[in-house]
Amino acid sequence: MAEGTDVEWELSKENIQPLRRGRAISALHQALSQLQDGDTSAINQQRQAFESEVRMYDGDDPLDVWDRYIKWTEQTFPRGGKESNLTTLLEQVVTKFTDEKKYYNDPRYVALWIKFAENCPEPLEIYRYMQVQRIGETQTSFYIAWAEEYENQGNCRKADLVYQEGFKKFAEPQDKLLQFHKALQARVSRQVMMHVEEDDSDDEPKQPERVSLADLKHRGKKKAIAPINRTGPAIRNITGGLQSCGAPVLGSVSNSRLMVFDENQPHNVAPSEPKLEVWVPPPTSRAKENEQKTEKWCDVKKSKFGHTVMAPPPPKPTFQPFVEESDQPPTMTPCKINPAVNTVLSSRKPCREETPLKRLQEHHQQQKQAESGKVQEQSMYCKELLLSGATEFCFEELHAERYFKRVAQEVRGQQDGASASASN
Amino acid sequence: FMKMTCTAKGITLKGSAELVAEFFSFGINSILYQRGIYPPETFTRVTHYDMSLQLTTDPKLKNYLTNVVSQLKEWLFECTVQKLVLVITCLETNEVLERWQFDIECDKSAKESSAPREKSIKTIQDEIRSVIRQVTATVTFLPLLETPCAFDLLVYTDKDLVVPEKWEESGPQIINQSEEVRLRSFTTSIHKVNSMVAYKRIDSV
Repeated sequence: MAEGTDVEWELSKENIQPLRRGRAISALHQALSQLQDGDTSAINQQRQAFESEVRMYDGDDPLDVWDRYIKWTEQTFPRGGKESNLTTLLEQVVTKFTDEKKYYNDPRYVALWIKFAENCPEPLEIYRYMQVQRIGETQTSFYIAWAEEYENQGNCRKADLVYQEGFKKFAEPQDKLLQFHKALQARVSRQVMMHVEEDDSDDEPKQPERVSLADLKHRGKKKAIAPINRTGPAIRNITGGLQSCGAPVLGSVSNSRLMVFDENQPHNVAPSEPKLEVWVPPPTSRAKENEQKTEKWCDVKKSKFGHTVMAPPPPKPTFQPFVEESDQPPTMTPCKINPAVNTVLSSRKPCREETPLKRLQEHHQQQKQAESGKVQEQSMYCKELLLSGATEFCFEELHAERYFKRVAQEVRGQQDGASASASN
Repeated sequence: FMKMTCTAKGITLKGSAELVAEFFSFGINSILYQRGIYPPETFTRVTHYDMSLQLTTDPKLKNYLTNVVSQLKEWLFECTVQKLVLVITCLETNEVLERWQFDIECDKSAKESSAPREKSIKTIQDEIRSVIRQVTATVTFLPLLETPCAFDLLVYTDKDLVVPEKWEESGPQIINQSEEVRLRSFTTSIHKVNSMVAYKRIDSV
């Protein structure tokens, strides 16, 4: 492989979501080059093939198609995001098989549930739901994912309890569960050790909290303001995941300029007698460009006018801005907005209160009602088939699929007949 | 007599060997940190090549790496080394999970006494920096190392070399069914280093 073509993944490294199982480099190259060319026809074709397979499958392992579809999606859309439809797909698949008890401890199904949980705003709720429904009850991967979520949120005690629960349920493979539990214990004890050391030396926090220079801007009508300081559970450690455990150091402590008065400090002896201070008017600010002194408007030369309004230039920064010393111009990460994604009509936004979990529970209830015969609505067309994938099918697409299937069967039948007659 | 390693104008065999050895020292440390082979708190940050890098503070590991690198420097100077491989294995099963291979091409015509080559140290260091950057960027596609791992360094030398003390001969430790990604390379004009990472192929797609 030539080196020039290989650097593409490096140029878009920020836009590639890391996967637990890694990425196939060929798929990554293909996805990135297609992204750059804006040519999505091949991807769309493959997606369409999966969509129809999901609907037309009539074997005894329907989960297989979904599993392959979702793995394909992960590899093909390295950026994730809306166009990949991953969240929708995950929600569809976990909802679809909630009645199939045979899948409840199938590693594939459990893995899909875990991915679904990781894509949800409240993964812990999903894990609790799984526990109640007894999904993944004997799967080690479920307990590991759950414990890791607790650990990420800084709750190592709960994480430990999750592992205990796993042991109680005899989750398989047991040695893996044991290994991960040991690793957690090792991290916690190391954490404790480090805290002891830090208390002795009283150093500044080893991992400084990040403060960005500006607020993140909100988009659209919602006024959501992202916090500038990353604190507490927001800081995720890449490998250990434990740095933020215990008492999190608030960003405001290390970073704010605000002095907090502490009455217990011995140094701050209150002045015995009030000092007389001459009141000085605050200096007039010079940097305000919109405040203009009153002056004569007529017979003023333009140049002079310009001078008085000019604000003094801001002082030079005291720090040396870092300049990379390479001679090449900075390489820009290629970014193209796919015009196909920006459809004119946007899909209906889910209500504010609606979370994936709630939708799931609703679905569950509806099915219970349907079983007990209390169902109010009944669709007189194959609604399930039309809506079962990530995108909606129309009747004609289903017709076409069936037609092609039939034609293929007929052709095969004729061939068989022909060969049979030939042999006769 | 002046101990001349390398001047700003050119590079000698000795200087080249030192630069390449230094690259391996920082590169190996960097991989060990990035891949979480050793806990992150046993590393300290230093600035080198105009970038910040992680160096281990673990005394045992430090000692081991110093030994390897100084031996490597000798072989680089003699132009007898062919490649260096960092193998990451699962601690429990001994299965090879990742393999970082650095192929070294030596220009054997370079002698200690020959005139310095025309390549500034700054240019070489810039090249090294982009190699290390790319090593860091590989986390975008490498699988997560879920189990505790150990690492091993393999050095391929010319055949007739005597194996020094504490070194032992070993097999290549190849991963079967692997994905291979070629990374950037750099050259001092005497030694050329090509980098590559191999990891276990995932079973889908």
